[in-house]
Amino acid sequence: MRLLLAEDDHILVESLKKDLELAGYAVDVANNGVDAEYLGNEMVYDIAVLDLGLPQRNGIDILKNWRANSNQLPVIVLTARNAWHERVDGFKAGADDYLGKPFHVEELKARITALVHRSSQQPGGKLNSNGLILDEEQQTVTTDDGQSHKLTGIEFRLLRYFLLNAGHVLSKSRLTEHVYDFDSEKDSNVIEVYVRRLRQLLGKERIETRRGQGYVFREKA
Amino acid sequence: MQSLQSRLSTGLLLSLIICFSALWLLVSINVEFLSEEYIASRIQHDTETLLSTIDFDSENKLVLDSSRIDLVYHQPFSGHYYVINTSNQHVNSRSLWDHSLDIVKTETGIQQRSLQQGPEQQSLLVVSSSFNKKGNQISISIAEDLGPIQTNIKKFQYWFAVMAFSMLFILVILQILILRSSLKPLTRTQSELKSLEQGELDKLSTDSPSELRPLINEVNHLLSVVKQRLRRSRDASSDLAHAIKKPLTVIQQLTDKNDIPDETKDILKKQTNDIFQLTDRILKRARLAGHSYGGALFSFSKDLPDLINTLDMIYASKSLKITKNIQDNLICPIDREDILELLGNVLDNAYKWSSSKINLTVNMNSDLHICIEDDGPGADPEKITSLATRGVRLDEKMEGHGFGLAITADIVNDYKGKISFSHSEELGGFRTDILLPVHNQ
Repeated sequence: MRLLLAEDDHILVESLKKDLELAGYAVDVANNGVDAEYLGNEMVYDIAVLDLGLPQRNGIDILKNWRANSNQLPVIVLTARNAWHERVDGFKAGADDYLGKPFHVEELKARITALVHRSSQQPGGKLNSNGLILDEEQQTVTTDDGQSHKLTGIEFRLLRYFLLNAGHVLSKSRLTEHVYDFDSEKDSNVIEVYVRRLRQLLGKERIETRRGQGYVFREKA
Repeated sequence: MQSLQSRLSTGLLLSLIICFSALWLLVSINVEFLSEEYIASRIQHDTETLLSTIDFDSENKLVLDSSRIDLVYHQPFSGHYYVINTSNQHVNSRSLWDHSLDIVKTETGIQQRSLQQGPEQQSLLVVSSSFNKKGNQISISIAEDLGPIQTNIKKFQYWFAVMAFSMLFILVILQILILRSSLKPLTRTQSELKSLEQGELDKLSTDSPSELRPLINEVNHLLSVVKQRLRRSRDASSDLAHAIKKPLTVIQQLTDKNDIPDETKDILKKQTNDIFQLTDRILKRARLAGHSYGGALFSFSKDLPDLINTLDMIYASKSLKITKNIQDNLICPIDREDILELLGNVLDNAYKWSSSKINLTVNMNSDLHICIEDDGPGADPEKITSLATRGVRLDEKMEGHGFGLAITADIVNDYKGKISFSHSEELGGFRTDILLPVHNQ
């Protein structure tokens, strides 16, 4: 999952980025409003965490501009301005969720997960697909045989993306975009390596290769 | 105080009545006086004519040249009479028939006027004068009936009164019309003030008479000052909240890390939480507009659905059904931000604890009554009564029914309203009743 973190306090950014990366998100940071709006329009993000008090352009305007551009990026608004009228204005501008500062990272993570599930039309609770259960907190996967496997960071990100987009053809470059952040070394061949590992874990038939197009995660084995 | 219009109307009406009565009286008296003078001067001429017809024969007897005397003195009861007295004779005009006049003796050269009852109920003006002709003392009294001229005067007075009364009536009507049209700007200002209170206007129109303009300008000025102050204090509290919460957020993130001893972590957590809640509550209290014309007003048809959508989004993971029972055409002149904060906090509490249903009822008579019920676990009855009797204080936390209710209570207090908590009979959970006086006294 590629996440855009638009926040200008660099101490907070540093700690949040680390926490969110550990939670399996590829995090890009924008520390001013103009960059945030531009990056949000790049369309590679699965979710944005937007502080309303950004320098250069305020969060409400960014949100309005995105929505006016029919950019449906799921957005969690993060703000110290938590009066109810500000929340209502935030939602009217197009926010999907709202978290007042100060907050606990656990709550932010829970809200991000919930919003990601909601925007992929997933029911609440753990991600699962035909006997496969992904525990997003522990970053483990339970296979049909009831065995629980610990996943590495990239494996977890990749599997979660497959599960959230089951049945869709996903190109290697799309997978790369959603698994790695902006600063990472990107090599789409590495994706093949991770797909191979997931196949070893889950069974070959789960991830189908479409030649020249990419991969499809099959919900039914 | 009486209205300007009725004060002006009564004042003008009274002065007009006094004016017209005085005029009528003056004219009537004058007409009577003038006609009496006129008749007296006619009598004077007749006296002179009569005097010239008088002669004395050798026996010193009085002789009258009848041909030179006006005919009216010969017709009986014609209203014109004379009586001539000399030292030895008494001559009455033929018109007097067998009546006589009371003659007042006067000195030579002096005239005397008197009013007498004559024949046939005539009221006579009698002018008596004395002369000395050819050595004889003559006293002549001539009388004329005032009846016909008095009838005319009465007629004149009657018609004059009728005219004056109609003029008075027309003038009063005209005045009322003039008053209405010149007081129209006041009436407009009055209705504008009402719309201002309802929030339909944000300032008074300056298109008004020059007497009113300074007042209107002053009101507009005050309105803009209040609005500016409110905005400034709201911006300031918002900025302050922002400024305090940023470092608090960082501290909170750091306390979540595992490299701090648990004891320190707990203290830090409690302290940051306390700072956050207290500043939040104080700043929110500072933001309140209260009963002043400052910001936009709350609209139940527009802002309430927005608020409920917002709550639905925040609690998207729960599937709650909120039943709204809002009085039709509800217009409530209360600041939008205040009501959003109030309803937001109470509804947030209901959303948090409810398991499936929430009822929101809003009615307005002289006060705005808001009732919110949920089907959650509710609160301990003991706690509810203690909440109601002691009220909500800054240093108290309502277990289970978060800190938002304290802010709500602050807002209600600021509006001099009432808030009460109880057990919901209908849904079985927590019930909050809020009563807000909404009209400015």
